Amino acid sequence: MITLDLENSSHKKKLEYLILSLIILLIYKFFYPTIDQSLFSIINDILIYSTIAIGFYNISEITHKKLSNPISLVLNVGLLNAVLFFLTALSSVIFDEIENINEVNSLFYTVVSILVFLIYVSFTTYILAAIRELNFLRQKKPSERNFNLLLVVFALSAISATLAYIYQGLQFIEKTFFVVSTVLIVINSFRVSWIAFLTKRQKIFLLFLSSIMSGLFGFNFALTSESNIIQQVLFNFSTGVDVYFNLVMLFGNVYFGIIFFTTLFHLPTAGAFDQKSEEVSSLIDLSNLMTQVLDFKELGDHITLATNKVCNSDSAWLVTEESNSSELVSVSNIGYLEADGITKTILEEIETPLDKVLTLNKKSIKVKIKNDIRTYIFQSLVIVPLKVHQKNNGYLFAAKRQKYVFDEDEKKALGAFADYAAVALENAKLIKESIYKERLESELNAARDIQSKILPEETPRCDELEVASLFVPAFEVGGDYYDFFKLDSKKLGFVIADVSGKGISASYIMAEVKGIFESLSKVIENPKELLIKANDILTNSLDKKNFVTALYGVIDLNSGKLIFARAGHVPMLVCSEGIVESLRPRGIGLGLDSTAIFNTNIENMEIQLNNNDILILYTDGVTESQNLNAEEFGEERFENLITKHCDNEVDDISREIFKEVSLFSKDKRQHDDITLVLFKWKNYNKIIGEV
Amino acid sequence: MADFNVSSREQGQICIIDVKGYLDAHTAPDLENEFNKLIDNQQYKVVVNFDELNYISSAGLGVFMAYVETMREHKGDIKFSSLKDDVYNIFDLLGFPVLYEFYDNDEEAIFKFNQ
Repeated sequence: MITLDLENSSHKKKLEYLILSLIILLIYKFFYPTIDQSLFSIINDILIYSTIAIGFYNISEITHKKLSNPISLVLNVGLLNAVLFFLTALSSVIFDEIENINEVNSLFYTVVSILVFLIYVSFTTYILAAIRELNFLRQKKPSERNFNLLLVVFALSAISATLAYIYQGLQFIEKTFFVVSTVLIVINSFRVSWIAFLTKRQKIFLLFLSSIMSGLFGFNFALTSESNIIQQVLFNFSTGVDVYFNLVMLFGNVYFGIIFFTTLFHLPTAGAFDQKSEEVSSLIDLSNLMTQVLDFKELGDHITLATNKVCNSDSAWLVTEESNSSELVSVSNIGYLEADGITKTILEEIETPLDKVLTLNKKSIKVKIKNDIRTYIFQSLVIVPLKVHQKNNGYLFAAKRQKYVFDEDEKKALGAFADYAAVALENAKLIKESIYKERLESELNAARDIQSKILPEETPRCDELEVASLFVPAFEVGGDYYDFFKLDSKKLGFVIADVSGKGISASYIMAEVKGIFESLSKVIENPKELLIKANDILTNSLDKKNFVTALYGVIDLNSGKLIFARAGHVPMLVCSEGIVESLRPRGIGLGLDSTAIFNTNIENMEIQLNNNDILILYTDGVTESQNLNAEEFGEERFENLITKHCDNEVDDISREIFKEVSLFSKDKRQHDDITLVLFKWKNYNKIIGEV
Repeated sequence: MADFNVSSREQGQICIIDVKGYLDAHTAPDLENEFNKLIDNQQYKVVVNFDELNYISSAGLGVFMAYVETMREHKGDIKFSSLKDDVYNIFDLLGFPVLYEFYDNDEEAIFKFNQ
C-alpha cells in the first residue's frame, strides 16, 4: 500500500513538472513564436528540451505497462506513425510553404505552430519510449548504457543544430553528431531478441506490421528532410525539434527494418519454437497440478491431455500397473474400449516390464470389441514406462494415426514428461492411501471409544458373590458386550453378548443391545421372556445377515438360585468342586429368526449354587484363539485351566486364563475380542448359620 | 491367511455349492457372489457342501441368513451337508439346526428336495 502511494505521488509529481514546463514554454512562445539567430533561441531550446525530457519520462510509464504484450506496443507505434505520415503528407499537399516565415507574427500562426509541435513531439516521444521498452525486453545483459548514450547524442545533435543555426560556422559539429547518432541507431537496433519468444502467428503479424512501419518511418524521415510546411513550422519552432523528429524517424526506420528481417529469418523455426515452449509450459502446468490435484483420476486426465500437446500425438492414454494387473486410468482423443483393447494386445506382445521408451512404427493391431474385430493402424506408437524409485507403476501411450512418426525430440520430451507424470501419480496415490488409512484409523478409534463407554466401568460388589470381568479388545473391535443389573437389593441380573461383524458397525449394534438389555431387565425378570422380547426388537432393526448371541441370567443373592437362558451364545460353564460342567439350554441367536420358532426353541435353566461354585461366562474369542498352526485354544484346554485354578479368587482365575490364552496365541494377532465374566458363590453366612 | 474356495455344480434342478477352507469376513463376498449368480439364473434349490470347510465366522454365517429368505420365497431352500463336527458345533450353538436342514451327505439333501 505504501509503495503504491509512493508510486502514485511520484507519478503525480512528474505530471506536475510536465504541465509546469509546458505552461512556461507556451507563455514564452506567445512572446517569441519563431526563432531567430539570437540567444533567445537557446533559451527557447532549453525550455523545449526540458519539456521533452520530462514528457519522455511521463510517457515511459505508460509504455512500460504495456510490456507484457509487445505486439500491442508495436501496434501503438505503428498507429502514431501512420497519423504522423498522414498529417505530413496531407499538409504538404494542401499548403504551400510560407515565405518569410521569420516575419510572420500572428496569433493564429502561434497557436497552429504550438499544436503542430505538441502533436509531433508527443507522438515522437511516445515512439521513442516504446522503442526503448522493446529494446530492453528479454535482454539478459544490461543494455541501458547504449540506449542512454543514444539519447544523449540525440540531445547533443539537437543542441548543435540550434548552435549551428546561430553560428553558421559550427555546422560541422551538427553533421558529426548526426553521423554518430546514425551509428548508435544501428547499434541499438539489433536488440530484437524478444521476437524469438513470440508465437508463430504473432511473428507473421509482426512481419507484416514491421514492413509497413519501416516504410512509413522512412517516408516521414524523407518528407521532413525536404522542405515542406510541417518541416518549416517545426524548424521555426525550434531547430532542435526538427532534428529530434528526424532522428527518431530514422531510428524507427532502421529498427523496424531490422525487426522485419529478423522476424523473416525466425519464421521457418517459429513452429519448432512454439512446440518447445508448449512442452515447457506443459511441464510447468503439470508440476503445478502435482501440488493442486490430489484426485488420481483427474490427474490422469490432465496427463493424457498434456501428452498430446507435448509430443504432437493424436491420442494418448494412461495405464497403471499394480501387482501384475493393469488398469486404464484415462484416455485422450481415443475411445475407452479401444484403448483398453489395444493396451492388452500390446502388453501381451511385448516384453514387460519395459525399462525404456518403446517405439512401434507402422503398427496394426487387431482388437476385439463387443464381438467385433477391428484393426487399428498407427503410424507410430510410443510406450513410456512410468517409473518411480526403479518401480514400474504403469505406462503412458502416445499414438500418431495419420501423420508422421515421432521424431527424436518428441520422444525425448515425452520421456521427460512421463518422469514428471510418474512422480505426480505416485504422489496422488500415496496421499489417497494415507487418507484412507487415517479414516480407517479414526473409525477404529471411534469404535473402540463406543465400546469402552458401553462396557461397565466396574464390577458389582456383593457379600455373597465375588465378581470378576476381563475384556481385551481385538485390533478391529469385535462387538463383545457384558453388563450387570442390580434388579433389587437381592437380585443381580447379568448379560454377555457377542455381535456378529466387526468395527464401527458392530459397535453401533452393541450400543443398541445395551439399550435393549438395560431397559428390559427393569421390566422382565424371566430370562427366557426377556430374550424373546429382545429378539423381537432386534430382528426388526438388524440387517438380514447380522445377529447377536447372548446369555442372560439372574442370581438370587439370598438363595444362590440361578436362572438363565441362552440365545445362541457359547454355553455357561459351572465349576463345582473342580469339576467343570457346560450348561447349554436350547436357544437360537437373536436376529436369526423373526417367527415363533425362536420363542418355542428357547428355555430357561435353573441351578442351585453351592459354596465356592464358579460360573464362567465367555465369548468365542477365548476358545477360538488360534496359534500359528491354526489350532484353536478350544474348550478342553479352557475347562482344564479352570479346574486347575478353581481354588483361587476369580480375579486371579480370569488373569490366569488370559495369560494362558495369550501365551498360546502369542505369535498371532488377536482376531476377536476376548471377554470373561466370572462369579464365585460365597455363602459363608448361610453355612455358619446352618452349623 | 488361509484360503477360501467356492465352486458350484448342478445336479438336476439342484445346485450344489462346495465351500473349502476358511469362510470369514474377508472371504464371505466370494460366497455372496456365488449366491447372486444362482439368483440371476433363478436357481433357488441349493445344497451347500461343507466337506472341506475348516472354519466359519459370524460373517460367513451371515451369508446364508441373507439369502435363505429369497430362496424360500421362490420355493427353494438352502440345505447344508457333510459338515465336520466342529463346524457343525458352531451352527448348533447358534441354533441353526432349528431353522435350516442339515444332512450327512448331498444325496440325502437332494432326496429331500425331490420329495
